[in-house]
Amino acid sequence: MAGRVLDAGLHLLDRQLVDRDGRLAGKVDDLELTIPDGGGPPLVTAILAGPGALGRRIGGRLGAWVEAVANRLRSGEDRRPSRISFAVVKRIGSAIELSAPKAELETDRLEAWTRDHIIAHLPGAGDAPD
Amino acid sequence: MRLTDLLGVEVIDQEGRSAGQVHDVRLVQDGPLVGGFGASLRVAGLVVGGRGIGARLGYQRRKVRGPWLVKLLFHWLSRDGRYVEWDRVQTVQPDRILISVPIGDLSRPETPESG
Repeated sequence: MAGRVLDAGLHLLDRQLVDRDGRLAGKVDDLELTIPDGGGPPLVTAILAGPGALGRRIGGRLGAWVEAVANRLRSGEDRRPSRISFAVVKRIGSAIELSAPKAELETDRLEAWTRDHIIAHLPGAGDAPD
Repeated sequence: MRLTDLLGVEVIDQEGRSAGQVHDVRLVQDGPLVGGFGASLRVAGLVVGGRGIGARLGYQRRKVRGPWLVKLLFHWLSRDGRYVEWDRVQTVQPDRILISVPIGDLSRPETPESG
């Protein structure tokens, strides 16, 4: 049976990611393409999201700066774009529906780090409603 | 490899002629099963051409509906659009993609809409 046909740029790039509970979980900034061990055409194995992936799309000095800032905010093995395995993709429509909760996704890492290390230390941060 | 390693890269045939840049990457959902998604998405080919705006808006697809004047305009803008099957891609380099088929033998990128 012939499979569904999609154009990656048209149908996937920049689409909103929605987690299991309907919460917004970032946007598709790039796709990870993997050539199978036995050879053959590449398969889409993951969605890449966040500034680390977006920087490359912006290109030039601005893109390099965005990627560098995203990397500066993380360390070690975290110095790569947030990766969401296609195994947790449930449906591709006008948004990309995921079967995992936002807290389990890598896209949540940078947001959580910024919240804990920067926002929490700002005067009045404790007054913000949840 | 990432999708953005392909987008915007110039496509060159064996005689050194340029078919334009990669405007989009066509995927078909018929790969090995992956989690709850079902069959994985396989790279089927490259949509290439000199001008990309019509392709990015989907106006190269026959069944896309739209004002006829807009369709006509984008059809004209994308008149040099071509489709390269992935098995005709020889090498992917940072600044160019080499293909094994002469540009004159490439088909138009139109496909039946199922996305």
